[in-house]
Amino acid sequence: MKREIIRFQNVTREYDAGNHVLKALDNVSFAIGEGEFVVILGPSGAGKSTLLNLLGGMDYATSGEIIVNDKNIVGLSDDKLTEYRAEHVGFVFQFYNLIPTLTALENIALTKKIVKNPIDAKEVLELVDLSDHANQFPAQLSGGEQQRVSIARAVAKNPTMLLCDEPTGALDSETGVIVLEMLQKLCRVRGKTVIIVTHNSVLSEAADRVIRIKNGKIREVSKNPAPKAIREVSW
Amino acid sequence: MLTRKMFRDMGCHKSQFISIFLMAFLAIFIYTGVGGEWRGLQKSVDEYYETSNLADIFVYGNNITKEQEMAVLNLEGVTDVARRMELSATILNEKTLYLYFVEDDNISKPYIAAGSTFDLNDTEGLWLDKRFADSNGIKVGDTINATVSGLKFSKTVRGLIYFPEQVYESGSDSMQPDFSKFGYAYLSYKAFPVPDYLTYSTLLIKGDVQEGAVAEALDNQYSVYLEKKDHASVSMFQNEVSQHKMMGDIFPVVFLLIALLTMMTTMTRLVSNQRIQIGTLKALGFKKGAITWHYVAYGFALSLFGAVLGLILGPLIIPRLFLPSMSSFYTIPKWQIASNEPVYYAVSIALVLLCTAVSFLACRRHLSETPADTLRPKAPKAIRHGLFERTRLWVKIGFNAQWNIRDATRNKIRSFMAIVGVFGCTTLIVCALSMNDAMNDLKKWQYETVNIYESKLQLDSTITDEQIQNIMTDVSGEAIIEESIEIRYKSNKKTGTLRVTDGTTLIVPTDYRMNPIILPTKGVSITGKVSEALGVKKGEVLEWHIYGDSDWHESVVSAIYREPVNQGITMNREQFEKYGFKWKPTAILSARTVSGKYDGVESITLTSESIKGWDELTEAVFIMVYLLIVAAAILSVVVLYNLGLLSFTEMERSLATLKVMGLKSGNLRNLLLTQNLWFSVIGFAFGIPGGLKLTEIICSYSGESFDFPISSHPRTLLISFVFTFGLSIIVNLMFSSKIRRLNMVEALKAME
Repeated sequence: MKREIIRFQNVTREYDAGNHVLKALDNVSFAIGEGEFVVILGPSGAGKSTLLNLLGGMDYATSGEIIVNDKNIVGLSDDKLTEYRAEHVGFVFQFYNLIPTLTALENIALTKKIVKNPIDAKEVLELVDLSDHANQFPAQLSGGEQQRVSIARAVAKNPTMLLCDEPTGALDSETGVIVLEMLQKLCRVRGKTVIIVTHNSVLSEAADRVIRIKNGKIREVSKNPAPKAIREVSW
Repeated sequence: MLTRKMFRDMGCHKSQFISIFLMAFLAIFIYTGVGGEWRGLQKSVDEYYETSNLADIFVYGNNITKEQEMAVLNLEGVTDVARRMELSATILNEKTLYLYFVEDDNISKPYIAAGSTFDLNDTEGLWLDKRFADSNGIKVGDTINATVSGLKFSKTVRGLIYFPEQVYESGSDSMQPDFSKFGYAYLSYKAFPVPDYLTYSTLLIKGDVQEGAVAEALDNQYSVYLEKKDHASVSMFQNEVSQHKMMGDIFPVVFLLIALLTMMTTMTRLVSNQRIQIGTLKALGFKKGAITWHYVAYGFALSLFGAVLGLILGPLIIPRLFLPSMSSFYTIPKWQIASNEPVYYAVSIALVLLCTAVSFLACRRHLSETPADTLRPKAPKAIRHGLFERTRLWVKIGFNAQWNIRDATRNKIRSFMAIVGVFGCTTLIVCALSMNDAMNDLKKWQYETVNIYESKLQLDSTITDEQIQNIMTDVSGEAIIEESIEIRYKSNKKTGTLRVTDGTTLIVPTDYRMNPIILPTKGVSITGKVSEALGVKKGEVLEWHIYGDSDWHESVVSAIYREPVNQGITMNREQFEKYGFKWKPTAILSARTVSGKYDGVESITLTSESIKGWDELTEAVFIMVYLLIVAAAILSVVVLYNLGLLSFTEMERSLATLKVMGLKSGNLRNLLLTQNLWFSVIGFAFGIPGGLKLTEIICSYSGESFDFPISSHPRTLLISFVFTFGLSIIVNLMFSSKIRRLNMVEALKAME
């Protein structure tokens, strides 16, 4: 394994569901290496999103440790978590979540407000092949294009990792493939750690590492010795 | 089941719906409350005038004969006439008692509050002003010793009365009636002490007739012809009523507009946020009418509750706030509150219908779509690049400004409303403070700049030149003449005061900025209000005559000066004597506090007491000022909070995204604050002239004799600024905890 960049150590997340305690994550442990293309697989309600939210610094673990870049992020204050998100995490959402009142370029340039030395917005836009659409508003872009802007926005911060929550969930398969190719390219060419949460098991063929999760527990963590390119995966 | 949905929806949009309810309530509350007050005043005074058969026309002359009276009675339109003698007596040393000796008590009858009814055959009885009696401890059966022009006589108090011509007792020198110093009494002509000298000075007329006809019937032997509406007591009260009426009419409209705007934005958003639900309801088979009614019912129910509550509480609370100051100033036997007027119901129904109609308009568009269309997510609103965005500056202003400009232009109605809300708030607060300023300035102007005497000795008409000289030496006084006059320019007429000075230093003429000026010695000078009312300018010629003297005189206007409360003409002794008048002072001014007793002095007015009177008079204004400030605060908090909430809800997803991306809470708060501050700045900038204009309008209703100095004090502007922006920031702070608590996971989950 390359340098270990993320480690979950006995992480539990409990929710108070009125009369009983719901364990969304139950004593989960795993590790991810730098520059890996990781797929987290599992059916609905398995705890995938909880895992992603914890890793993204949007939620608090009930117990355990989450080590990112040798630092435990469990127990950080709100402000520290915000700093953590700004510095380490690039989010790609299922519904893109572009700011509707900002153009594609402005959505990316937004990162200037957040980190000190972001990658130039135009450069990132070129990376996702959308230079021609720089001045269009989200409403004027197709779903796939919006998702690519969203990826560009996440990359512009130059984060430690990209966290993608069902990035193709709202897209048709052809557009989905383009988006996933983009993510894989970022991983392979730029060396970004990319973590994708999905319920589509086909994607596991393209991953370096596959984490299967069910009922809040890790079922299997497997390494893929020869990950395929996205195009080669049979959809 | 839909009703249950409605209440739950209301629960979810609590603050918007509460504010719609609140605005509907306030509109009706103030309308019926202030309406109940002024309508009550109007009703009280109308009934009083009606039952006392107040004269329609007052004609003053020297000696109105029986023949003249009959000639007037025979005029077409005249239904009744009566003669009476009016004169001023001194009692209890220096108190003034104005006596009405009536030939008949058919017109302008007194209201008997205590004692026996009026008897025309009573030669020894007197019916006394109740408030004068009360403040001097005089009771029915007491004996009154009075002096008229040196002649002493006594009468027995038979009853205590209110008099319809003395609703506002203007007898004393200050604005505020002083019931302990000035009173009136009603007597039979048979009670006149020297029957041989009885001449009638006043002719009262009931009916509808023109001055020309009366003048002809009287052979022009009269000096003043006064219609009821111009009578000092009647017009003073009427001014008060119309001032209250104006407030009661303007403010509810403001609240109604806010209610409608809030309704419009809230309903539009509610419906567009629920379009999938609407589609589902349609697909389930609910009839369009049922769904429409469901949404229209929000507006209907809220405005109905608000209106009903306002209708109940308004007349119950507001009139009681005004009553104490009104009744200390005016005298009416019975104060009424008009709590149950058809127009209240009409206005309430109109308000409910309007709100219902607006909520219908707001949701009509979505409801007319087919279920399939409605179920599909709404196409996002198209955005275009504005002109500004093509400029270079656009890139430079930064993300915060870019975001807010786009957001504001994309939500024009919301932005407009926010500006209107701040504008309304600033207007009200500036108006409230300016009114306060105007009152204080007027006091300072009148008592510290213009009238710098401390005592004013009102002289008896029988005083001799020698007595005057003695008093002047004794109090180091200055003598002046003050007479009531009528001024005419072209077809315009106005009553006022003629002041004749003789090297006077204790009354200082000023300009509008309250700077002392020196009046020219030639010609006459007039006050600004007279100039405005008559349309006469410097260098033009006006005419005037003294009441009680029918000769008109022409004068050239050589200067215009301003005075806060006393409007009229000023000239010097030399000019006055040129018209053939004799120098016969009516008052002596002194810089000292004069308390002694002098023969020939009718009364002494101390400036310190006048100031006290003025303070009491302005009490009603201050009630209004407080009401305005409260209204301003409610208005701005409600509007700004609502709009903030609306934009917050709309931006929630974007804000959550930014937060996930790592933007700090403080930055997000600034994002929201920026827009709020922009709107506050714009609203504030328009609100200042708005507030000053409103003050001007309100002050213009206080009657022609006042010249209010309206100006924008730096202090007022500063307080308004702090108030408006303080509220704006406080409202913003309410959202900062919302931003901190913003649940990123929830907000980003799904589209709807």
